[in-house]
Amino acid sequence: MEEISQKLINIVSIILKGAVFLSMGSIIIGVILLFVKNGGDGYSLQTLANYSNYSVAKSYSSSIFSPAKIPYGIITLDPIGFISLGLWVLIFTPVSVLFTSLVDYIYNKNKLYVVLTFMVLFNLFTAIFIIPSFVHL
Amino acid sequence: MLFGTPLNEFLVIVLGGIFAGVIGSLTGLGGGSVLVPVLTIFYGVPIDFAIGASLISTIATSAGSASTYTKKGIANIKIGVGLEVATTLGAVVGALTFILVTRQHLEWVLYLLFGLVLLSSLIPTIQRGKYEFPEAKMPDFTSRAFQLTGRYTDDRAKKTVTYTGVRWWLGEIIMFFAGLLSGLLGIGSGALKVLGMDWAMNLPMKVTTTTSNFMIGITAATGSSIYWYAGYISFFLAAATAIGVLVGSRVGSHVLMKISNKEIRWIFFAILSFLGIDMLFKGIRQGNIFDLQKRLTGLLSFSIAVGVSILMILLLYLYTKRGVSYSGGNITKTD
Repeated sequence: MEEISQKLINIVSIILKGAVFLSMGSIIIGVILLFVKNGGDGYSLQTLANYSNYSVAKSYSSSIFSPAKIPYGIITLDPIGFISLGLWVLIFTPVSVLFTSLVDYIYNKNKLYVVLTFMVLFNLFTAIFIIPSFVHL
Repeated sequence: MLFGTPLNEFLVIVLGGIFAGVIGSLTGLGGGSVLVPVLTIFYGVPIDFAIGASLISTIATSAGSASTYTKKGIANIKIGVGLEVATTLGAVVGALTFILVTRQHLEWVLYLLFGLVLLSSLIPTIQRGKYEFPEAKMPDFTSRAFQLTGRYTDDRAKKTVTYTGVRWWLGEIIMFFAGLLSGLLGIGSGALKVLGMDWAMNLPMKVTTTTSNFMIGITAATGSSIYWYAGYISFFLAAATAIGVLVGSRVGSHVLMKISNKEIRWIFFAILSFLGIDMLFKGIRQGNIFDLQKRLTGLLSFSIAVGVSILMILLLYLYTKRGVSYSGGNITKTD
């Protein structure tokens, strides 16, 4: 029976914990800034908080803020930049976990699981980088 | 604005998220299954954004709880990653279907489907925990080929449990649908993931639930990025629910360890079934199925939902009690 590497387990556990802290910290800073600045990314707080009106909510949701805008958002202390960073850290957490286990499988020469992990990464990257160009409004 | 100022609004959504997180973790269904109905029924959030906020919040709760379980070595990362091939593919298909459905303005289908999925996931969730260690099955071709073995230390039984999984292919098929529902409805679909690993692959319950927890994050991340670009994630909502659900699920798991009287969970199952039935009715009303839009008013469907859910949970409770007493109250399988 093949043992599951304890090192892998520890690293995965640390990544998961760290990502949650980083993400929550960033979201909380963003929310505080959102209320202090009374809005973000050039939109008023009233507009951003209007989630019950479908067309308003759709016009001022995630599609207006591509992840490429995050670094500029952070430098300019933009609330939406911080909230987006927090949410994208969440999305990328599983990717980093997969990379960690990939390293472990390569190290242990477990070819089958190297292939399987690549397949999962392929699906994830398709979802993150390729499909968006088709669904963007 | 339903609750006055944006600040009040934000805090009320955080509270809703905490509520969803607590009930989700106490029942084992996960925050998303509670969050979407709570946001749509009580907060007037369009279901598209409720699903978007729920999906991304699910990653936070999964990462939060999975870090504990992976450290203890109960969650089997290898089996999880192998099955993710199917769930991530399912999540992509699910998220694209979601976009198609909402662009055709067929939201009522989502309500209907959500209600049905929530109600049907109640039964396996209630059955869960009745038996912990499956009867050993003969390892098949896939057990060896896909290295489906593992072991963990069970704190309560004070022993090391060694296990071997079977029927990897069947697990993959079920996982595809788990991913599909996750991408389509913004839930972790933990119930279906458990079904895949427990029933199909014959893995011990503890390994199943913890591995499923670990997997939910990867599946939800796949769907979330598509939702992001298509514009279904509201910053305001998602920030509030991510914080709320994470806090709630933490509180829930602490409470779960402390409560000695497990019967109290039935109250939460009743709440869940109410939410499921109400979502179902919302779908029927919006889609004007059987021409019921005018006749089935909000108040009427609310009352029917309360009545039916109490009756249903009472029947399930009695049925489950009877099933357990036949086996002498042990945690053995009762069929």
